[in-house]
Amino acid sequence: MMNQGDEEPSSHELTRRRFVQALGASSAAAMMAGTPKLLPAGTEAGTEADTEADTEADTGEGAAQSEPTADACILLWMAGGMAAPETFDPKRYLPFELGLPVEKIISTFPAIDTNVDHIKISQGLENVAQVMDRATLIRSAVQPDLGHILHSRHQYHWHTGYVPPLSVAAPHIGSWMSHLLGPRDPVMPAFVNIGQRLEGVGESEELKAFTQAGFLGSAHGPFNIPYPEEAARSVATPEGMGTERFAGRYERYKRLLEAGGDAYVDEYHEESIRRALENAHRLLGSEKRRAFDLSLEPKESYDRYNTGRFGRGCLLARRLVEGGSRFVEVTTEYVPFEQWDTHEKGHERLARLKGEIDRPIATLIRDLEARGMLDRTLVVVASEFSRDMLIEGVPGSNAKDQSRAKTDVLKEPKHYGLHRHFTGGSSVLMFGGGMKRGFVYGKTADERPNIAVENPVSVQDLHATLYTAMGISPKTAFEVERRPFYVTQDGKGEAVREVFRG
Amino acid sequence: MLMLALHAAPVALDVDFHSQVAPVLMEHCFECHGGEQSKGGFSINTLELILDKEAAVRGDASASLLIELIEDDDEDFAMPPVGKARLTDEEIGVLRSWIDEGLAWEDGFTFAKSRYSPPLLPRVPELPEAVDGRGNAIDRIIDAFQREHGVARAERADDAAFYRRLSLDLLGTLPDPADVARFVKDEGPEKRAGLVDQLLAENVDYARHWLTFWNDLLRNDYTGTGYITGGRKSVSNWLYGALLENKPYDQLAAELLSPTEESRGFADGIRWRGDVNASQTTEIQFAQNVGQVFLGINIKCASCHDSFIDRWTLDDAYGLAAITSERPLEQFRCDKPTGEMATPKWLFPELGQIDPEAPRADRLRQLAALMTSPDNGRFTRTVVNRFVHRMLGRGIVEPVDAMQTEPWSADLLDYLAVRFAGDGYDLKALLGLIAKSEAYGAQTVKRGEASIDTDYRFAGPLVKRMTAEQFVDGIRQVTGTQTTDVAAKFSALEIEKEAGYVGRTAGTRASMLPTDFLQRSLGRPFREQVVTQRPQELTGLQALDLANGEALNGMLQAGAAELMSRHGELGTGGLVEVIFQRALSRGPSEAERTVSRALVGEPMAAAGIEDLLWSVFMLPEFQLVR
Repeated sequence: MMNQGDEEPSSHELTRRRFVQALGASSAAAMMAGTPKLLPAGTEAGTEADTEADTEADTGEGAAQSEPTADACILLWMAGGMAAPETFDPKRYLPFELGLPVEKIISTFPAIDTNVDHIKISQGLENVAQVMDRATLIRSAVQPDLGHILHSRHQYHWHTGYVPPLSVAAPHIGSWMSHLLGPRDPVMPAFVNIGQRLEGVGESEELKAFTQAGFLGSAHGPFNIPYPEEAARSVATPEGMGTERFAGRYERYKRLLEAGGDAYVDEYHEESIRRALENAHRLLGSEKRRAFDLSLEPKESYDRYNTGRFGRGCLLARRLVEGGSRFVEVTTEYVPFEQWDTHEKGHERLARLKGEIDRPIATLIRDLEARGMLDRTLVVVASEFSRDMLIEGVPGSNAKDQSRAKTDVLKEPKHYGLHRHFTGGSSVLMFGGGMKRGFVYGKTADERPNIAVENPVSVQDLHATLYTAMGISPKTAFEVERRPFYVTQDGKGEAVREVFRG
Repeated sequence: MLMLALHAAPVALDVDFHSQVAPVLMEHCFECHGGEQSKGGFSINTLELILDKEAAVRGDASASLLIELIEDDDEDFAMPPVGKARLTDEEIGVLRSWIDEGLAWEDGFTFAKSRYSPPLLPRVPELPEAVDGRGNAIDRIIDAFQREHGVARAERADDAAFYRRLSLDLLGTLPDPADVARFVKDEGPEKRAGLVDQLLAENVDYARHWLTFWNDLLRNDYTGTGYITGGRKSVSNWLYGALLENKPYDQLAAELLSPTEESRGFADGIRWRGDVNASQTTEIQFAQNVGQVFLGINIKCASCHDSFIDRWTLDDAYGLAAITSERPLEQFRCDKPTGEMATPKWLFPELGQIDPEAPRADRLRQLAALMTSPDNGRFTRTVVNRFVHRMLGRGIVEPVDAMQTEPWSADLLDYLAVRFAGDGYDLKALLGLIAKSEAYGAQTVKRGEASIDTDYRFAGPLVKRMTAEQFVDGIRQVTGTQTTDVAAKFSALEIEKEAGYVGRTAGTRASMLPTDFLQRSLGRPFREQVVTQRPQELTGLQALDLANGEALNGMLQAGAAELMSRHGELGTGGLVEVIFQRALSRGPSEAERTVSRALVGEPMAAAGIEDLLWSVFMLPEFQLVR
């Protein structure tokens, strides 16, 4: 999907036009059976839109979609269940002490001050603490109780808005944005997914199941870059083939195509193949691919991000959004029992993880701000759920206890940490893109269970908030097998209005 | 045509027609004022009809008769009438908002039943006279159809094109150039029919190719969700054996519906860890998949609420689900329990019914018997339509999963269905019948708008895009490289050996392997859902993988090395000839030869061969079955 239109829309006023372009493309595709059709949520019956002119007028009536507050979105994914009490919602802290009853502990790190008076976050996030004045912090995100926890199932829910299994292949949030908005620069991939290996890791089939465009078609699938430092290679000429040979091959191919002129081949297919190859070569031959090359980043700046793969991913995300991508996800990577998925030794693990995410997140925010892009770029830090030292799921859930360090009192360091999955209250941090600054929304209980006690935000409402910021109505729907399929579940998502700047 | 979806002006409204308004109208008004009913001359079928009767005033609920009547307490006027449930305040609120907000109506939506109602029983149509010696029953019907509709008959495809198409359609592989040359020279009058029989007798290649179709249809795969916690079972070994022996379709279906240990994966469905929504339990998955796969019925709507788009109800969906359920099954409407328990029953009581008191195994056997009953024309129509779709590029009914849609030729559909049953549900015989028709052997017509046009008229077969599996296998064939890997959960080679079959092509085929990056990129689906149509377009992201992806590049390098070592002595010109013949079943034109020789270089260079291979594989002519 790198070919929407020839102009390079850059300001948000053009969003509606992009939208119409996206519709135009989808309607051409809709000629083929099985291609989803965008449903006219509010077309007035009886007003047949017969001509393109009519159509533009219709769309121009105003209500099209909401006025976007963001043009691009970067999702920083804390895969494995980021414990809110250890990050952005610190609670009662008790240091490690042999024999200490676990029930007394909620956080294993002390709280620290931020540059906003009333907001405290967890130790180890000192750099993020210094950009909290640019952030909206939702502390009341909640997830449904799905029984026995499977991370990838909750991740599927978070990334598509729907809980599997499903009778329709649900598109990833990035695919919706790719389809409805297209890339900001026509040469760039609209949706890039950084940092997640999809082969050779546990639950990889489940990860693949939502890392796709579903019924929107593979044109809107993710451009996957598991290792950010290898991103340049994904848009380079093939191994062992110089740029000259690469360009020559394509030139000769086009001549071969002309020389053939087979009467049997129909234009529809031929056109689709020609156009797709042309688009691919456009990116591969474009200056734009420099955006993928981290080696071009000045050393000082590179070093600020370089805390590991995630940090380098943040740098790549910034470069890609600068280059014109629409939606970029960077993950700490989900591998069962790794990273945020702490089933034992949680404290020790988190001390390291926070070190990996703290500086890159803060640097990303400052860089976007310095480039004048933060206002129109929505950065979201989120995870599939939170964690707790005692409770699996939510109180009353039949979820099976999966801790590997079960104990009532601390007997050794591996017991110290949040080793159970908690769906009753988690934190989502958002920057820029029209969100308020230095603002906290929602609240969890101070005592266990630390469930959301004020303004709970469901996955669908959180999605509605992100989509609304991007100018997409939460009720946007496609017709799939003659049924409507909505961007938020059943079109019911309601944006959290309070987090938008007035 | 471009206009079709262009009047899709996305608008955010507070009340949603489909999820909020339509259900209220359905619940309270439809019985007397919807479908074929229009008591008092009032119908809610379309917005036009509502406005015609001035029942609603756009933008002003309080001035609308509809609201006045449903809020009225006077027994003589109130709607719904005395004895029926009144609307709740919330429901009235929905209708008020809907009117106040401008009466949004889903484009094309109607409460009217489709004017077409598909027959259930088999029907034997009268065969028109053969003309011009075209005696194949399919041609007799299509020739008459074309005469009646003034459609010109398509020219015959040339022999080489026919061979390539037939080989790709029946076996999934490219033909051997020497075989094609011999076929072209053959002057026998029945040579096409002979070739069809010859190819269909290639049991191993046939089975390996059709695995792709059946795996998509039965959402069977060697990897995938559910396997991680034992929530999914593969039917690969059973399926492969069935394809090798060309198991009759009625038997095949019966073994899926009333399964053995080896074939139970389809009926068992996919179980994700944890609790699932009521409309996605494995029992409901069974209902949905049985309906879609065997009957072309979409029960997905009806597994949550009575369908708005066809006749199927929540009761139907749960009835089907209850057949397989090991426990009493409570009905859920939109994920809320209704308090009613489902009774095992199937969709067409005209053909007989399930004994609800029978144990599960018996109920499943009864279901299998009802499904494969000689009177179940829906069962045979659905499968012959799928095969026509595969062979001719478009079904007689489209979409192939919506068999309630009117066919472009009821005679053709009905004839094939009856003939298929008469031939003992023999899938190869069905393929043979289609492949031997002049309709199949004609030049392809441009796809254009044909595939969704409601007024579709057959003018010739449509061009199809190669599947990912065909593409990968094709590259291996052209370059003479092969792989011997086989997926876990699949003992293909042992099964072949046991059955005494030997494959024509060496090595294994892409369909037998777990999907990989390249195949995924080329459209091999995740088999989470039933898939009956793969995407026809090449996308930019796919093209990127083809342009610089490691997987394809590796295949090209290995292929060039193999070609050079085996055919290097032919020289550049000879090698170009070999590549064209293998890939396209024809030699290069003069202009093509010039470009190709320049690519390969003289003397030939490995890099040059790689580049020619890439260029040929990117030609639409290669990537299409035409």
